[in-house]
Amino acid sequence: MLTARVEKIRQNYIDAKPCISYQRALIWTQSHQRTEGKPIAIRRAQAFYDCCDLLPVSIFSGELIVGAVGEFRKCGILTPEYSWLWVDREMDHFDTRPQDPYIMSDDQRRFVREHIFPYWKGQSLEEAFLARVPAETAKIAVDTGIVDNDSKWRQAVGEITPDYQDVLFAKGFGGVAAEARAKLAALPDTDKESLEKADFYRSVILAADGIMRLANRYADEAERLAAAETDAGRREELRVIARNCRNVPENPPASFHEAAQFVWFTQLGGILSENPLALNPGRFDQYMYPYYAADVEAGRLTEEQALELIECLWLKLSEWVWTISANTADYFAGYNQFQNLTVGGKTREGLDATNPVTYLALRATEEVKTHQPGLSVRVHQDCPPEFLGAVTELVSKGTGFPAIHNDAVGYQMLLNAGYEPQDAKDWNNCGCVVPHFRKTGEWTAAVNVNFGSALEYALNRGHSLMTGELMGLPERPASSFTTFDEVKAAFYRQFSNLVHHSITATLVAQKLHQELVPRPFLSACIEQCLSTGVDLSQGGAKYNVGPVITGIGLAVVANSLAALRKLVFDDELVTMGELAEALQANWVGFEPLRQAALAAPKYGNDDDYVDSLAIEIANWYYREVHQYRDVFGKEFNTAFMGISNYLPMGRVLGATPCGRRNAEPSSEGVSPYAGTDCSTPLAAMRSAAKVNQEIHSGGTLLNLRLNHELVSTKRGQANLGAMIQTFFALGAFHVQFNTISSATLRKAQAEPERYRDLLVRVAGYSTQFVNLSKSMQDAIIARTEHAEF
Amino acid sequence: MNMRRSDEGWVMNIQNFSVNDGEGIRTTVFLAGCAMRCPWCANPEGGSLRNPMTTLMSANDVLSQVIRQLPFLRGSGGGVTFSGGEPTFQLPFLRTLSSRLYDAGVSLALETCGTFSYPEAADVLQLMDLIFIDFKHPDPDEHLRWTGRPLALVLENLRDVAESGIDYVVRIPTIIGLNAEVATICRLLDTLAEITPGAKLEFLPYHTLGFGKYEALGRPVPSGFATPSEGEMDKFRELASERGLVPVSYR
Ligand code: SF4
Repeated sequence: MLTARVEKIRQNYIDAKPCISYQRALIWTQSHQRTEGKPIAIRRAQAFYDCCDLLPVSIFSGELIVGAVGEFRKCGILTPEYSWLWVDREMDHFDTRPQDPYIMSDDQRRFVREHIFPYWKGQSLEEAFLARVPAETAKIAVDTGIVDNDSKWRQAVGEITPDYQDVLFAKGFGGVAAEARAKLAALPDTDKESLEKADFYRSVILAADGIMRLANRYADEAERLAAAETDAGRREELRVIARNCRNVPENPPASFHEAAQFVWFTQLGGILSENPLALNPGRFDQYMYPYYAADVEAGRLTEEQALELIECLWLKLSEWVWTISANTADYFAGYNQFQNLTVGGKTREGLDATNPVTYLALRATEEVKTHQPGLSVRVHQDCPPEFLGAVTELVSKGTGFPAIHNDAVGYQMLLNAGYEPQDAKDWNNCGCVVPHFRKTGEWTAAVNVNFGSALEYALNRGHSLMTGELMGLPERPASSFTTFDEVKAAFYRQFSNLVHHSITATLVAQKLHQELVPRPFLSACIEQCLSTGVDLSQGGAKYNVGPVITGIGLAVVANSLAALRKLVFDDELVTMGELAEALQANWVGFEPLRQAALAAPKYGNDDDYVDSLAIEIANWYYREVHQYRDVFGKEFNTAFMGISNYLPMGRVLGATPCGRRNAEPSSEGVSPYAGTDCSTPLAAMRSAAKVNQEIHSGGTLLNLRLNHELVSTKRGQANLGAMIQTFFALGAFHVQFNTISSATLRKAQAEPERYRDLLVRVAGYSTQFVNLSKSMQDAIIARTEHAEF
Repeated sequence: MNMRRSDEGWVMNIQNFSVNDGEGIRTTVFLAGCAMRCPWCANPEGGSLRNPMTTLMSANDVLSQVIRQLPFLRGSGGGVTFSGGEPTFQLPFLRTLSSRLYDAGVSLALETCGTFSYPEAADVLQLMDLIFIDFKHPDPDEHLRWTGRPLALVLENLRDVAESGIDYVVRIPTIIGLNAEVATICRLLDTLAEITPGAKLEFLPYHTLGFGKYEALGRPVPSGFATPSEGEMDKFRELASERGLVPVSYR
């Protein structure tokens, strides 16, 4: 049961539209005007300090965890140093855009156009990227939906898991600053490297001092409010808040409440410093449990109080929104900040890691139904039945949470990426389904590549079906292919070319991040950066893992190659030329042929005719991508993640041989194409598990919908648990379920007002259904509903 | 005559991911052919061996499809359920399938209408972990009139199954227009309480999910039947409990 306090905060979260605040951007800009000529790390750290010093402090009614990114309770901020161009272009329509609208007043717009944007003209990351990316790569990679890495040049990287265990809770930011001061004092200042390190340590000191300054300002504010408070209960709460903010994040937390407040201050620091995607709280149950146990033992905390604090934190994580372009919002729909929080799994030593906080985290998500944090669980084959029971019970609530991960495969993925075994055992999720670790620098969602486009260019002389433009490599006419192997060879040639441009676009962005946007605050949260004196953006983390290229449309391409093989080469129903013609005509006038294509074997039904093609393509993709190395000399990695990228990537894709029409959605992760996994969820799992998931260290995703009936009873949940364990025993990494009936979704579409709290799984994450655009909603409804038999 | 063959048989359907025909996740093998002629039947394609909706399959083909599901069946404590039609109608084929699966350590269940020769089928029944046996109507004349087969054989088999020591559940298709009225149900339950005291039983409410199959077979859909309300179903379960019988559910 939610407490009245949490229910009130929750109602506001559900009802309020996010507002844009320019306060952070204004302070950031003015600070940069004062620091011209200084090293970039220092300028950014000083700007961060100034934000912490000047940003309005707001403690909202009923809050137990405090700290706000701006003056509004549900609030997004601007980061013009990354990109202001798109904001300038799009902000007049912020209120009305279909996906993830924001509230912004005309006065605000006028202000930022007069006082903020002019300073950044020619200075932003976006402009630098557009100036440097080679023209032939830009043609394919800039706002095309073919290769897409816009979140890496219009946004900060994010994709970090702060190290609470060994850095933050162990030392506090006071300890971090002290360590940086000591390191700085010991530098000789007589060589290039130590001069660079000196800048780094100075930037870390500024960042750490900044977040402590902000916390103390919150302590002041809480004291001020307490003095004026007439309600004795609230007055005491405000005093506790003041005490907490005096102690953390400067020092190690002294209580569970302080630890939760510390987590939020760390998020807040990350947000103010770069408005990040995927700033992951990580293994929350592991680092919070000692505080929980000590407080409960001492009689200072009850289970219900701990739950309320966790729920307050969940709401905090949900109240700030990631301000992103309409294009990015297509890929990451639903105001999603991707703050992934992982519970369960094994300890570093290999023991079961569940504890009471694990269960409280699951309960909090069930009760508050917020879209953040992205709650992930690690399930191992020997996990306690109660844990699997709690996981499947949460699944039955239909929120799409938790994302369920195979403990052993996450471990294997990190081993493959070069981690030490103990560290690999300690993995957490990043963003949606990327196995990650708290001593890691990695671009976990560096770039998306549209598999379907490669096939399109192979079958259409290198041209786009939708625009007629030459986008791929010139190719001979499809009618001249005489064997299936020739078709595949042409596909792989085009695919290679798209991978090549994905790499180029990523390397250009990586180099620019090193030059323009070092990350002092987040570097302060990562152990190795401190000890070696190297910023995260320069490869300072213990592990630098190569950027992840996410493949979109595995099912579409496997289905298409299977249909093509069957119709043209096995059954000889049509010629290559006729099929190419049908695709050019978007199947118009070719309906019987389209029906035959739809009837061809489809991935997701445990049919090796088509599954073998999915395996082949995925393996080829792995080998192709791993040939390349990033700016740190690390191999690029592959993933089949979700996000909502299968929609924009489908939109630019012409008709495909699987029977799909122009612009219809592509497919996500290793999931079957929506509506074509018509056997059973077991068959869909079977197909997905064949794809050698453990080699794709950037993560793999399977999204399934289950009829709510199937999991509405304990017995049904037990069956679901067994299904999950079997899927994992087959070698799969992740599965997530939507258990809402399509009838409910249609009702929610018709009467959004009544369903504002309805959470659905988009792909790799869950969000409020009514916040999705109509086409996203339709796509979710179209996913096959697996009823019981 | 295919009825007699042990290495191949007529199959209606092999349904993976069944969760209401026994424990865990199951694969249900629907074997064609049935001695009864119930007008409400939800699986009309089971009424004959050979029709547009059945397939002649070798035992090996059936087994390889089933064995593909083993990881999920084992992981969930499930297994294979034979249904129909009436699975004992192709007894030699059923014997082959069930003994091969038994040897592979697969947990087995059987759904039967109760019309078979116990002595002939006893060895196959012994392989089962669970038997669902139907009891459709307590009145001998009505039973014969509705199903075309005598009640006496069903009751005899019910008694034999109960005595065999195999776990069993009596299934009562609960249908307005057939038996779903208090007087008939009471009589049915009294009979049960007498011959199989303390038996587990499951009331299965009438449904119309089989109508599409009638259309596919070019036959008129059943008429004159209706589904009891939840309240009536609760009442029937209550009546069963009062008589020392044990209502169960696989929902
Ligand atoms: S016994 Fe079962 S399968 Fe046979 S006719 Fe009756 S309802 Fe149909």
